[in-house]
Amino acid sequence: MKEGFRQSMAWLHTWSGLLVGWLLFLVFAAGTAAYFRDEITLWMKPELHAAAHPSVPQTVALGHAQTLLEGRAANASRWFITMPSEREPAVRASWMPARKKDAGEAKPRGRRRFESAELDPVTGTELSAPRATRGGDFFYRLHFDLHYMSPLWARWMVGVAAMFMLVAILSGIVTHKRIFKDFFTFRPAKGQRSWLDAHNVTAVLALPYHLMITFTGIVTLMFMYMPWGVQALYPSQDQFFTDLNNALPADAKPARRLAPLAPLAPMLAQASAAWDGAPVGRVTVNFPGDANATVLISRQAGRAIGYDQPTMLFNGVSGRLLSSSTPPGTATETRSVLYGLHIARFSNPLLRGLFFLSGLAGCAMVATGLMLWAVKERQKHAKALARGEGHFGLRLVDGLNIGAIAGVPLAMAAFFWANRLLPATMPERPDAEIRWFFIAWGVSALVALARPSRRMWQLLLALGGVLFALLPLLNAMTGGAHLGTAIAAGLWPVAGFDLVTLALGIALLFAARRLGRPAAIKKAPVTHVTAEAA
Amino acid sequence: MSTWGATLAALTALTAAVAGFAALSLAMDRHWEALHGRGSDPGTLRRWLQGGGSVGLLVSLLACIAMKGGAQGTVAWAGMLTAAAVIVVLLSTYAPARVPPLAKMMALVALVSALATALPGVL
Repeated sequence: MKEGFRQSMAWLHTWSGLLVGWLLFLVFAAGTAAYFRDEITLWMKPELHAAAHPSVPQTVALGHAQTLLEGRAANASRWFITMPSEREPAVRASWMPARKKDAGEAKPRGRRRFESAELDPVTGTELSAPRATRGGDFFYRLHFDLHYMSPLWARWMVGVAAMFMLVAILSGIVTHKRIFKDFFTFRPAKGQRSWLDAHNVTAVLALPYHLMITFTGIVTLMFMYMPWGVQALYPSQDQFFTDLNNALPADAKPARRLAPLAPLAPMLAQASAAWDGAPVGRVTVNFPGDANATVLISRQAGRAIGYDQPTMLFNGVSGRLLSSSTPPGTATETRSVLYGLHIARFSNPLLRGLFFLSGLAGCAMVATGLMLWAVKERQKHAKALARGEGHFGLRLVDGLNIGAIAGVPLAMAAFFWANRLLPATMPERPDAEIRWFFIAWGVSALVALARPSRRMWQLLLALGGVLFALLPLLNAMTGGAHLGTAIAAGLWPVAGFDLVTLALGIALLFAARRLGRPAAIKKAPVTHVTAEAA
Repeated sequence: MSTWGATLAALTALTAAVAGFAALSLAMDRHWEALHGRGSDPGTLRRWLQGGGSVGLLVSLLACIAMKGGAQGTVAWAGMLTAAAVIVVLLSTYAPARVPPLAKMMALVALVSALATALPGVL
C-alpha cells in the first residue's frame, strides 16, 4: 500500500514537472533576474553611471521634482515621483501626458506610456536623458506576462504552471525517500545517479524557498484566479483595489477649475514624521493644478516584509491631510506579507543575494529534473537507439531542453549586448532590445530542435558563456563605469552586475567544457552539465 | 543595528551555519567513511557532532534574528542555511579532506564574531 502510494506520487512528479518544465525554467530564470531589477536597469543606462549622488533630505529632492513637473507637465492628469533610494540614486519624475485630441498614434499594446525625467536629487538638474530601455522591468514582466501575447492569457498559463510546480514539489517530497540521508550527497560523473543527486540537492537545500516562491507566486495573482470573493462584495474590481490601496476612487474627476498646487515638501515631512522618520517611497499627484488635486504619499519599502505600505492622502490645494491608511485586517496583512515575500523588496543587498542564490537553485532544480527525464528515457530505449532508430519523444525533449536551458541564458546575454550595441537614439529602442532577446532565443530553439546533440549543447552553452563573460568588457567599452571605477566609487549595483555576469559566464563555459571531456562521454552516455551551470 | 554590527552578525550567521552543517555531515556514515575509509564510523563522536552541529544552526538563527528581527531574520536564516549547505555539499564532493579543518575554522570565526557582536551590548 505504502509503496503503491509512493509510486503513484513518482508518476505525478514526473509528468507534472515535465509538462510545464520549460515554461517554469523561463519563469524561474527571469524571476531570479528580477530580484536585481533596479540594478539591471541602472546597468542598462550607462549615461547615469557617472553621476554621483550624495544624499540630501527628501524634502529638497521632492522640491526639485515639483519645480520640473510644474514647468513641463502642468497639463498632465497625474504625476508620479519616485524618491531616491539606495538602489536608485536619482529622483524619477514621471507623468501621464494629457490625451491629445488628434491622437493619431495608436496606443502601444494597451498600456499607456508615461513620460519621465531623472533628476539629480542634490542640484535638481535633469540628468542627460538616458537611452530608452525596459531594463530589468523586462525580466520582471516576462516572468508572469510573458511577451507578444495577451497578459491575461500569459498569467493564466504561468498560474497553471505554478500550480503544477506546487504539485511537483509536494509529490517530489513524498517520492524522495532519503531527504536527510542524502542531504549532502552529490556523486559526480555517474550518469543518471549524478543527475538525480543534483536534482535532489538543488531541490532539498532550497526547499523552503521553492515552496514559498511557488505558493506566494500564485497568491500574487489570486484575485485574478479566484475573483468570486471580491465579486460577491464589490461592484467592480477597481473599487476593491481602491479600498485595498487607500487610493483615490477610480471615478474621481477633476473640477476643471485652476488652483495652484501646494508645496509637496511639507506633506512629505508630515507623512515621514508619522512613520517614525521612515523615508517616503512614492508621491502621486492626481489632477495637478486643478481645484480637486490630491496627493498620495506612501512609505518606502524596507521596514517590513509586507508588500502594502502605509499611505497618506492630502488635499493638493490646501495641503491638509485627508486620510491615512488604516492598519490592515488579518486577511489583508497575510496577503501583503505573502506578496512581499515573493517580490522581496524589503531585502537589503545581503538578503537579496540569498534570494538570488535560491532562485538559481530553483533554475538548477528545474533544469536537472528535465535532464533526468531524458536520461531515464534514453536508457529505456538504449537498444533501439543503438540500432540507429530515432525516438520522437526523446528527440523532442532533448531539443526543448537545449532550447530552454542553454537558450534562455543566451537570449538574456543577447538582450544585454543589444542594449549597448544598438544606436542610443534609435526609435522604438526598448522594443528592438526585446526583439534581440527573442531572436536569439528563437534561433537557439530552432537549431536545438533540428539537431539535438551533445555538440549543440556545447555550442549554445559556450556561446552564452562567452557573451555573459564579456559583458564587463562591453560595459567598459561602451560608456559604462567599468569594474575598476565602479568599485572605487562604491557603485556596487554596476560592479555587482559585472561580477555576477562574469561568474555566470564562467559557469556556462565550464559546463560546455565538461561536455567535451571524453571521460564524461564514456561514463555517461548523455550530456553532463553541472548543477551550477543552469 | 549599525552597519558594522550587521556585518558581524551576518558573518556569524553564515560561518556558524557552515560549521554546523559540516559537523552534521561528518556525523553521517557516508561522509565519515569518505574521510576515514570504508567500514569506519564516528562512534561516540557522533553524538558530539550532531549536538555541536545543531548548536551551530541555532547560533546562526539567533544571529539572523539579532540582525534583522524575528520576521526578516527567519527569512534570512533560511537563505543562510541554503548558502551554507551548498558550500558543504561542494566541499564534501570535491575536497572531503577539507571538511573537518573548514568546520573548525568556521566555528572559530563564528565564535569570535558572535562575541564581538554581543559584547558591546553586555559591557
